[in-house]
Amino acid sequence: MARLPWWMGGILMSMLLLMTFSVFGADRPIGASTYVPYFADLIFDLDPEKYSYLKEIQNPGAWEGVMLMGALFGGFVTSVFITKSFRFSLIPTGWKRYKNNSVLSRLLWSFFAGFVMIIGARLAGGCTSGHFMSGMSQMAISSMIFGTVVMISLLITGKLFYNKEEK
Amino acid sequence: MDIVVKTAGDDFFSRLAQMFENVIHQGHGSLALVFLIGVIFGGIIQYTRVDKFEKIAGFAMLKDTIVPKMLFLAVGLTSIALYFMIEAGWAHYHVKPIIWQGLIIGGTLFGISMAIFGKCPGTGPVSIAEGRIDVLIGAIGGLLGGLVFTLYYDDFFKPLMGTSAGKLTLPKLFPGHEHLVVLIFGIIVTLIAIVIPKVEMFDEADLSKLPDDQRPDRV
Repeated sequence: MARLPWWMGGILMSMLLLMTFSVFGADRPIGASTYVPYFADLIFDLDPEKYSYLKEIQNPGAWEGVMLMGALFGGFVTSVFITKSFRFSLIPTGWKRYKNNSVLSRLLWSFFAGFVMIIGARLAGGCTSGHFMSGMSQMAISSMIFGTVVMISLLITGKLFYNKEEK
Repeated sequence: MDIVVKTAGDDFFSRLAQMFENVIHQGHGSLALVFLIGVIFGGIIQYTRVDKFEKIAGFAMLKDTIVPKMLFLAVGLTSIALYFMIEAGWAHYHVKPIIWQGLIIGGTLFGISMAIFGKCPGTGPVSIAEGRIDVLIGAIGGLLGGLVFTLYYDDFFKPLMGTSAGKLTLPKLFPGHEHLVVLIFGIIVTLIAIVIPKVEMFDEADLSKLPDDQRPDRV
């Protein structure tokens, strides 16, 4: 199976974080959730003069927007040429096994979860990348609070939302 | 023939061009470097397969621990190395403020949606890049979430987040012992990554690539 072991992934991710933090690199942390409202504002053509949040995210949003384009490209190339896992699919295997076989159910839940996820990430001021990886690496107290809350809520949801017995 | 890039306009493509222009001028790496950081980021996520539903939702069900193992290892190693780089003047901290309500309400919503979606904002796009339509639908939901957040930021979300209680890091809580705190934190977090038992849940596509005698579901 074309797959890197977790420790290799951790080491590589750490090197990428350090390169991004370094003054020789980007001199900033890695983040990933600010590009979402940034692109939403671009697509829905919101006026930057009218919305204060748009002004706040002008710089980080643009930076993460370019990074996201790179991530899409990197993910695509890797999935086509290295892991050879590129295929169109509607329901993940794990969803079929522990939730249901309904395409409609998966799509509706995805839509809802995507919506709530971005609201949550923006309320907390970061996501898995910004708080968990970049923030915890700086030993930021805010990120540790976020990490603890997310872990608890993730595990409780996992227990309540999915069926314990395999289908 | 010259290629003319219109950056003054207000339409979608002009604003997209303004995005590139902004990155060129904000001094956080060249445009090519930022793009490259993204490519490597996406590549690592895809190559380790942590973009999969089975990895994140699987962790929520405690049936897969690759994500926390990788995450904690990356944090442990980075925290120690980053501290040395900062001491040497090669990097700076960019700490996020403590906003109690925002972190707790936001973190709760984030955890719930992460368990259901099986993605986060960083792994989502990588999943879309490997052809996951359900994630694309989730991303459209996310864009609407981002839109709602911008529209109601001043009236609703900003008051909901509360005020910042300042930016604080763990070493600052122990003045005079910063080095030791960093070292202990880094080592403990790295050890956590190693001692978390390795449990894995595979999806069909990955399983079908394994030789028959190595398939965990047939052993």
